[in-house]
Parts: sequence; C-alpha cells; structure tokens
Amino acid sequence: MKDLHFILLLLRKEFLLEFRTRSAISGIFLYVISTLFVVYETFVKIQPNVWNTLFWIILLFVAVNAMVKSFVQEKGNRVLYYYSLLNPSHVLIAKIVYNTLLLLVLSLLIWGLFIFFGDNPVKDTGLFLLILFLGSFGFSVTFTFLASLVAASNQSSTLLAVLSFPLIIPIILMLVKISAHALRLIQDTAVSGDLAILIAIDLLLCGVALLLFPFIWRD
Amino acid sequence: MGLHYCYFHLSGEIKLIIMIEKGKIWKFSGVILIVYVIIAGLLIPLKPGIETVEPSYGNAGETMKIQVTGYNTHFKEAGNSLRAWLKWDNGKAIAASEMVALDERRINLTFSIPGNLPENTEVQAVTLLIDSETDGTSVLPSAIFLTQTETVLSTEEVPWVKPANFSNNGMITFPFRNILGETIRNTYFHVPLWFGMMFLFLFAVIHSIKYLRKGDTESDLKAEAYTQTGIIYGLLGLITGALWAKNTWGAYWSWDIKQNMTVVALLIYAAYFILRASFEDPEKRARVCAAYGIFAFSTLIPLLYVIPRLTDSLHPGSGGNPAFGSQDLDNTMRMVFYPAVIGFTLFGFWLSSLQFRYLRLQKLREDLD
Repeated sequence: MKDLHFILLLLRKEFLLEFRTRSAISGIFLYVISTLFVVYETFVKIQPNVWNTLFWIILLFVAVNAMVKSFVQEKGNRVLYYYSLLNPSHVLIAKIVYNTLLLLVLSLLIWGLFIFFGDNPVKDTGLFLLILFLGSFGFSVTFTFLASLVAASNQSSTLLAVLSFPLIIPIILMLVKISAHALRLIQDTAVSGDLAILIAIDLLLCGVALLLFPFIWRD
Repeated sequence: MGLHYCYFHLSGEIKLIIMIEKGKIWKFSGVILIVYVIIAGLLIPLKPGIETVEPSYGNAGETMKIQVTGYNTHFKEAGNSLRAWLKWDNGKAIAASEMVALDERRINLTFSIPGNLPENTEVQAVTLLIDSETDGTSVLPSAIFLTQTETVLSTEEVPWVKPANFSNNGMITFPFRNILGETIRNTYFHVPLWFGMMFLFLFAVIHSIKYLRKGDTESDLKAEAYTQTGIIYGLLGLITGALWAKNTWGAYWSWDIKQNMTVVALLIYAAYFILRASFEDPEKRARVCAAYGIFAFSTLIPLLYVIPRLTDSLHPGSGGNPAFGSQDLDNTMRMVFYPAVIGFTLFGFWLSSLQFRYLRLQKLREDLD
C-alpha cells in the first residue's frame, strides 16, 4: 500500500511538472502534426499496408523524442535528494506509467489525425486499441530504461536512438503483424498467440528493467 | 600477477606444461577439436549420389532411355554389381532392362514403363534407386514424372519387383543432398559458430551480473572481452552463412528473417561498445554497460528464437522446413558436428581470456599513467 502511495505521488509530480511547463508536450504535439502533414503532402493517398507501417514508425519516432527527456531533470543535487528519499523501483514505475499514458494519448492523437487527414483503415477497433496500449507500454519500458542509461552518460539524444532501435525491433515486428490483422490486411489465425508473445516480451523487458534500474540509480 | 605475464617469455615446452598444470587443458582440447573438425570435415568424401536425370518426364507404356549423372560414383568400376530400379510410393518397383555405363559418372538406363501405373493419379513421381558394391545405394526421390492418360487400373500383369539386398560399401561418408552438394560441410563451421556466439554472450551476461553483484573490475573487463569475441563469432557466422546462401539459395542476402534478426542482434551489441565509449568514469561505465548488456541479452531471446519461428524462413526449423535433427544430421555428421560445437566454443573462451588479459594490461597501464 505504501508502495502504491509513493508511486502515485511520483506520478502526480510528473503530471504536475508537465502541466506547469507544457513545453515538452506541446513540442511533441507540434512534431506529430507537422510529421503527419509532411506525410500526407508527399504521399497524397496512403494504402492500408503503407498506413500500417507508417503509423508505427511515426509512433516510434514520437516515442524517442518524448522520452529522451525522461531523466534530464534527475541530475545533480536533485538526484541526491530523491536518492535519500525514494526507492528506485518506485521512480522507474512512476516514469513508466507516466510515459505509457503519454504515449497512449499521443498514439490516439496520431490515429485521430490520420483519420482527419485521410480515412480510417482500422477494421477491428478493439484489437487496435489493445495493441496501442501494449505498444505504448513496450515502447515506454524500453525507452524509459535506456533514457536512464543515456542520462548517466551525459551524451546527446542520438545515443538513445542507437541503443533503442535495435532493441525495439521484436516489439515493433509483433505490433505491425497484429495491427495488420486489425486492419484485415492479413488473416492471422494465431492472433491470440501473437498477443501472448507481445505481452511476454513487454513483461520480460519490464521485469529486467526493474531489476537493473537500482544499479543505474545508485550514483 | 607479475609472474603470470612471464609465461610469454618461457620456451614452448615449459609453457605447455605450465598451462596444463594450470588446468588449461580445455584450451588445447579446443584447438585439437577444431583441427580434427577441419581435417575430418573437409576430407571425408560425400556419399555417391545421383545428381541429374535426363529426361525427367515420360509416359506410361513406353520404353524410356534415361541418362543419369552421378556424383562421386564409379559406374564403370561397379560392372556387374550395378542394379537400378524405378520405385513408386506404394513399394512397387521395376528393374532397369538395360544398363550402359558411359564413364564413372554417367550411365544410360533403359526402363520399360508399364501401360498402367500402380497409382490412381494422372501424373506420378517415381524414385530412382541405383545400387552397386562399389558405391552402395543412391536414391533420387521424384526423379522422373510419368504421365498416364487412362487412370483406370487394369488387370495387366506387370513384373513388379521389390528392391532388396542393398549393398554397403562400408566407407565413411557424409550424406549427399542434391542442392547442398559439397556445401554440406559448412554445417561444421556455420552452425557451431552460432552456438559459440550464444555461449560467449551468455558468459558476458553472467559476468555483467557478477559485476553488478560484487563490483569487481575484472568481471566488467571479462564481460567486455566475451562480448567482443561474441561479435567476431557472429560476423563469422554471418559470412559463412552468406557464402552458403549464395551457393544454395542463390544470393548472399535473401532478406530471410533469421539473417535480418542476426544483423539486429549484432547492432545491439555494436551499440554496447558505443555506450562504453561514451563514459569517462570507469566505475560508472562498468555499471551502466553491465545493465545494458543484461537488458540487451534479454531481448536476444525473442529476437533469435521466437520471432524467426513465427514467419517463413529459408533456414531449417521454420516455414515448413525440417528442424535441426534426424533429417539433417546422420551419424557420421554427428561425429564431426558435436566436436565442432565444443571446439569452437572452447576456442572462443580462449580468445576471450586472451582479450581479457590484454584489456587488463591496458587498464593497468592507464592506472599507472
């Protein structure tokens, strides 16, 4: 119960910080809109199979841009203060939950804008929403954890892309495959098995990240 | 520590004794196994087999004259012991009525195809069997496709025979597979390199975990050394695989899912070194890189084993291709394949331990500076 209390407090802090500055979220919103505008200007008409790939690629880039800043504030004196006060797992869980919600909102926004600019090729809305959530969660786990590594190294944001893109491939391959089924591009008879694998990969990465994060945090 | 590095200056014999005394027999075992694998794997001949059959189409009721090209065969030498059959799936067979060996590798066979084929379909594939005392038995499945217009089974008596008394030439050979040919020997290099790579990455991850638990610098250097050797093994596995693919699938790169996932795995570990290079503080570098190494290894399992099994692949074990097992390895191959796996793995450990000692010396010099 106490764990939940701390996590909720940290989550509240994340939301408050974001709500006060609003620089990050508005930047990402503009990024999404301008990207989609460029995509529609250049493609004119998007076929469903292209739509499928494009959607996840855009979400991937949005996720990198949104999450590279995850641990920027946790530096110097402030990290010492947190360190004496908090359990590292709580910090990571709060960050992952916050980033998952942020990505979920952003992916819904991207989907909405896709529908606004073009049309909606998604046939199985329930399944698509489910994989939006699983995708956001998987991206969030991977990028949040790797962002904490990158933050420790004082390196630029390109390092996050270099580290994370190869690692994200199992997740994105599963997402594109299940999403193709939700768009009825393929008839996937083993969709529940694929979902199970996706959930397994998400949980595996989440577990490993939770185990390892305390060592990164200890500075 | 100082004494340890003196071994480089000692003469060969003493060094050998010291290494065995230090329990380093496994290094020599590794080298001996690899030498054995290279000699046995490259010198043991392929079993005689049938390469091509011309023509490969015929009709029921006619007398067919076919020319067979063999591989590693001795048709002339075999002389009278040569026998040949065309065999249907249901076990019925006809023997060749005439056999003329043109040279050791080419032979003309004449078959009187019965007017009514023993199965109920219009086109039937038959297997060609050739048996001789010098070469043993060679089999080519679906060697000839026979067409019959009437699919009614008649009562005409056909002199069916049952191929029996196969000879065994008693030679130690590797199996002959039509597309693979001599490239079957790559099984002893390509596949063990992958096994070796996985063992090396596994040891790297064990040392990373050890570092996070104990915090000793040696474990960090060991993890780095194992990862470096693992990447070299991965690259060699990729190159041997690409050469094999060129000769069997027709292209160096076929965008096969396993090929792609391998490149991704190597990218993941290449990123490990970029991460290493971006730290000044060695303690921080060791900690963060150990965490990344463990995280990366845990994505390797879905990457290399789960996802390739979901999609079609040209590799054995997926997309309807037979898995690694009884179909791909016969007992002679096993005698070379298993030593190859052990030998390449041990050799990789030796390379890693050398690299580790180099890294340790380098660190020692840095500390002195």
